[in-house]
Amino acid sequence: MRTRIALVLLALFLMAGNALAKDVVFAVDATYPPMEMINADKDIVGFGPEVVMAMGKAGGFNPILKNTAWDGIFAGLAAGKYDAIASSVSITEERKQNMDFSDPYFEVKQGVIVPKGSAIASVADLAGKTVASQMGTTGYFVCKKIEGATAKSYDEIGLAVEDLYNGRIDAVIADDTVASNYALQHEQYSQKLTLAFLIAPESPEYLGFAVNKGNQEIIDLLNSALAAIKANGEYDKIYAKWFGSR
Amino acid sequence: MNPQFSNKPVKIDIGDGAAIPLKKDSGLFNAWWLTFFGAIGIIIYLCVTKPDPYWRILQFLPDGILVTFQVTILSILLSLVIGLFTGLGRLSRNKVINLIASTYVEVIRGIPLLVQLFYIYYALGRLELFKGLPPMTAAVVAMSICYGAYMGEVFRAGIDSIDKGQAEAARSLGFTRAQTMIYVILPQAWRTILPPVGNEFIALLKDSSLVSILAVSDLLRRGREFASESFLYFETYTMVALVYLVITLFLSKGVSKMEQRLNYYERD
Repeated sequence: MRTRIALVLLALFLMAGNALAKDVVFAVDATYPPMEMINADKDIVGFGPEVVMAMGKAGGFNPILKNTAWDGIFAGLAAGKYDAIASSVSITEERKQNMDFSDPYFEVKQGVIVPKGSAIASVADLAGKTVASQMGTTGYFVCKKIEGATAKSYDEIGLAVEDLYNGRIDAVIADDTVASNYALQHEQYSQKLTLAFLIAPESPEYLGFAVNKGNQEIIDLLNSALAAIKANGEYDKIYAKWFGSR
Repeated sequence: MNPQFSNKPVKIDIGDGAAIPLKKDSGLFNAWWLTFFGAIGIIIYLCVTKPDPYWRILQFLPDGILVTFQVTILSILLSLVIGLFTGLGRLSRNKVINLIASTYVEVIRGIPLLVQLFYIYYALGRLELFKGLPPMTAAVVAMSICYGAYMGEVFRAGIDSIDKGQAEAARSLGFTRAQTMIYVILPQAWRTILPPVGNEFIALLKDSSLVSILAVSDLLRRGREFASESFLYFETYTMVALVYLVITLFLSKGVSKMEQRLNYYERD
């Protein structure tokens, strides 16, 4: 009898919990500072996670961040392992055919990191060079489009930067926030590397939250939460904290 | 010790290649034939009935297959050299050499290959000496250092298996220790050593898929690149797995043929 009461109470508690705040699971590849990364306490931090947490508060849902390797992050979404991807996913036409996106939450350009003293100053200078980025990112798509350059893909952007630092490749292309974080702010890398230039995109590149095709419920939830934190100034606060007046 | 047991050594032989049946019990439908031609059949079937995406994936892979073979062949050659010296070192009467060789084997066998690859490529990459080492070279060096240790054990066992009388006879004919090894022991030991080397070759080919973490564009990495852009995970990895299967089975057959020829005098 006592177990039964306990079970009923537990069920009631769970239902009440559901009614109060819906869990929304986000996949994050936390290897992309300052957008998404792991801190010393093994927590997922960065600009993206903070935006998601603020959105949860404003939109009345309970965000759960799940650290997921980039390679396969989209496969996991399709397999229903999480509700959305909050991992600096650029909204592209190709991706839109396979998934839906929330409203954009950030704009990026592609930044080119080179060793200090390198003669590379424009896209044309990259011909004949080895240019690298993270596999399956817009940075890598840009690498492949550069005429005469050898494109090289890495599992994580940090490994590509490390190889640039060790002199195995000529340039790394990544989202400008990430590129400048490595090339200008990182204590060690900034001594030898620098951000050479930004590549002007054909059309503006925005980051959005990716969800499975047709999952309108989550899209609506995310869009209204995003609108709410943009309206109440919370978004600007987080932006200023991570990027100052970029 | 009870002689009854010591006279009946139990040998558990685990190879890394395919299960190739002996000639005497090869029927038409054994596992090797079924898998090999099954895999080829499926590849052809998929490419013909669904050229998009399967044929597209297959066209994306060849340079990756080439890199996989390059890494495998270069690594096996280098690891044979390392293995020979390690094997001799392990049998050496010189205590220092023996200790160095044994320590090398212990260290390498205790570290997972994936960690070794990361270590040689990224950790040692920070040292001035290794700066600018191309990924391909780093991958080959890492694979060779790892497999050299295993190969060393193969060489040691092979050399050990040669009857002591051979060395004694050679020595009493006036051969030096080095001459005995080069002209008498090694030529005979080869016959014992080659089949396990063939097995290691196949194991190395499969393990070479790990070098894709070093941004070496091998077969697996090409597949991952394709999948990450097309989102065709199922189709891409099906194709990658089938291609690996065909390659490994083909090589296994080669190894077993070689084994049969080497066992010429021991046929029953």
